[in-house]
Amino acid sequence: MTKENVQGAGEEEQQAQSKKALKKQQKEAEKAAKKAEKQAKLAAEQQETDEDDFAKDRYGICPMVQSQQKLDRALVRVQDLTPEKAEQQIWVRARIHTSRAKGKQCFLVLRHQQFTVQALLAVGERASKQMVKFAANLTKESIIDVEAVVKKVEQKIESCSQQDVELHVERIFVISQSEARLPLQLEDAVRPEGEGDEEGRATVNQDTRLDNRVIDLRTTTSQAIFRLQSGVCQLFRDTLINKGFVEIQTPKIISAASEGGANVFTVSYFKTSAYLAQSPQLYKQMCICADFDKVFCVGPVFRAEDSNTHRHLTEFVGLDIEMAFNYHYHEVIDSITDTMVQIFKGLRDRFQTEIQTVNKQYPSEPFKFLEPTLRLEYKEAVAMLKAAGVEMGDEEDLSTPNEKLLGRLVKEKYDTDFYVLDKYPLAVRPFYTMPDPNNPKYSNSYDMFMRGEEILSGAQRIHDAQLLTERAMHHSIDLEKIKAYIDSFRYGAPPHAGGGIGLERVTMLYLGLHNVRQTSMFPRDPKRLTP
Amino acid sequence: MPMYKVKPVSPADIKIDVPSCMYKSPNVHGHGMNCGEHALQNGEVDPSLKATVDGFAKTVTTPDADLDASTPSPGPAESVFKGTADLDSLLGKDLGALRDIVINANPARPPLSLLVLHALLCQRYQVLSSVHVHSSVSAVPPPLLSCLGPRHIDSYARQRFQLGFTLIWKDVSELQMKFSTQSMCPIEGEANVARFLFRLLGAEPQDPAAATQMDCWIDKAVFQLSEGGSKDRAAVLRSLNAALGRSPWLLGQEFSLADIVCACFVLRAGQTTSAPVNVQRWLKSCQNLGHFDCVYPFLQ
Repeated sequence: MTKENVQGAGEEEQQAQSKKALKKQQKEAEKAAKKAEKQAKLAAEQQETDEDDFAKDRYGICPMVQSQQKLDRALVRVQDLTPEKAEQQIWVRARIHTSRAKGKQCFLVLRHQQFTVQALLAVGERASKQMVKFAANLTKESIIDVEAVVKKVEQKIESCSQQDVELHVERIFVISQSEARLPLQLEDAVRPEGEGDEEGRATVNQDTRLDNRVIDLRTTTSQAIFRLQSGVCQLFRDTLINKGFVEIQTPKIISAASEGGANVFTVSYFKTSAYLAQSPQLYKQMCICADFDKVFCVGPVFRAEDSNTHRHLTEFVGLDIEMAFNYHYHEVIDSITDTMVQIFKGLRDRFQTEIQTVNKQYPSEPFKFLEPTLRLEYKEAVAMLKAAGVEMGDEEDLSTPNEKLLGRLVKEKYDTDFYVLDKYPLAVRPFYTMPDPNNPKYSNSYDMFMRGEEILSGAQRIHDAQLLTERAMHHSIDLEKIKAYIDSFRYGAPPHAGGGIGLERVTMLYLGLHNVRQTSMFPRDPKRLTP
Repeated sequence: MPMYKVKPVSPADIKIDVPSCMYKSPNVHGHGMNCGEHALQNGEVDPSLKATVDGFAKTVTTPDADLDASTPSPGPAESVFKGTADLDSLLGKDLGALRDIVINANPARPPLSLLVLHALLCQRYQVLSSVHVHSSVSAVPPPLLSCLGPRHIDSYARQRFQLGFTLIWKDVSELQMKFSTQSMCPIEGEANVARFLFRLLGAEPQDPAAATQMDCWIDKAVFQLSEGGSKDRAAVLRSLNAALGRSPWLLGQEFSLADIVCACFVLRAGQTTSAPVNVQRWLKSCQNLGHFDCVYPFLQ
């Protein structure tokens, strides 16, 4: 081996090495080039974004409103967005009902209570791409503040309540963000049952609604129902106050069961126990004996009835009336029926929007009534039922199916959804009911029906302590437990009568709904204690 | 010898009885005067005319403004119809409850003939009358609310009445009556309901010819007087005039449903002062009967 060979080999090695090294270098160079390219690109993009987001201060998430400042800004309600406000620049606070991006535009539907309006955000000189992207990604139900120009539209926007205008958004800020996953979708909650089945789209079942009541109450239908219910209560109060009635408040924690022992809740009361009032009956009567003449009260009623039906709740709002009369208890019936007719008229005349909104999801026949109210006697009802093929005794109580059938028969003949049935048999009424003077088998008692379902049970009360004691003994009631009640009639008591209705049931039947839980905000029944 | 001899025009041997008394004055102290005698004295020669006069006397007892002196007015008019009707066979067995007739009428066209029939029914039976306003109508003028008269004192005890008459002012296109929804379909049209109610009075003409004539007059009133044009109306008034020239009432001597319906429709059409003579006289007669008092508040 010569040195040259070694040298040659070394050279070869060197050459080989340099080839490898060259390749390596080349690769590295490529890598570096790519990296540089990327970085350059990013830098360029960054520059772009920074450059193009000229609308940066016109959108964003506001810090939580902790009353940091008192802005003197007027917010317009969605309800008031009409063509009269065209071209005005206004601020609106509403929820995001839906948001949909389409290329360079984003369509939002903003909702406040029962009212919805369409809002449009398009990339242009006022809005950047980033702003539109931000709007499109906002979660449903978030509360936002929007500054926009009201624009008239030629073609009506059928899907919104405000059909003649839309908003062109200038600024959009989030006041309260909603979590992305909602337990129920509002559009599903408002969808009519039939439509859901037909088109294969979801509807929400009642239990889910009641478990997430806060969201369910936001729907247009729920808003309409409870506004109407508020109207019922208000009309009840106003009509009675105008008739000279006095509103009273009665105790709900009482020492003895009023209607009958079975269906009463017990509460522990210090060292003993007490009951939750099943009705303000006893106290209303005591007020009459205390010379208040005409009283009414609005308050909760507790019935521990283990009935899981469409029309029973364990706690509901009772609207109760009691009135002293001169010579005949029909004076009281006339007063009560006139109050009901005034309520129906008030709802018919002032709450049509709400009624129509509810009918969209739950279609039903409009509520019909006669003025003055139709009053039939129990015997006539039995005759009508017998003519329709029902077999029943003359003094038998009406079962629920018979009541419904009777309602239909009365509707057919008189075309009214509301009527009074007078002179019930004595045997089926409570012990304090005054018997009929001419026929001891009957009583001066009455029931009122809406759409074939009972809403009020009332009667002339026995105002004589002696007779009351006899009747109580006849019904095997422990006299000790009702001693205070009987005593109230011993010092001069006027003849009186009355009755009570359930607010939820009346609202349900007026609107033609089928379950009383729809008209009770946070319903209580044997299976439900929350929310 | 006479120049001309005239043949005798009457036989010569006729004996003429010359009355010795010029006028016989009525005995003011006696009673049971036969008006026929005076008729004779006053120039009526033929005694068979007495029967005719009796017929006229019957006409005269139908109270008329000019001749009436027997019936004190205004008072509750005596019931014109004295027939009997079996309510059970007409309305179905009495099940111990009030038999209520329900009539739905439009307040824009009050059914005048039914108001008259209601007054007649109230004379025959214990009728519980009530007026209601349906929720389809927002308001009704006060006279329509009291068109069936004041509320009966016993109205709190429905059972004490034989019949119920419930009038509901409602937004309906055609007047409608319902009674027993299980066994009867609703009756539509004022004339048809009038026929039904008239049957309850038991005063339907037994003679088929008269019954047909009655129906004929009622149809004339409905189709020509009410729904027809001015030519039809004029034609009906002419035929009414002609018929009423022959007899006091449309069917002859007896007041009937034909008179009730036709009079009400004529009154509602208005312009009664320009109606033919007999028609005006007949309307006056109807008014004098007293049953039409309830109708006058509704005529313009």
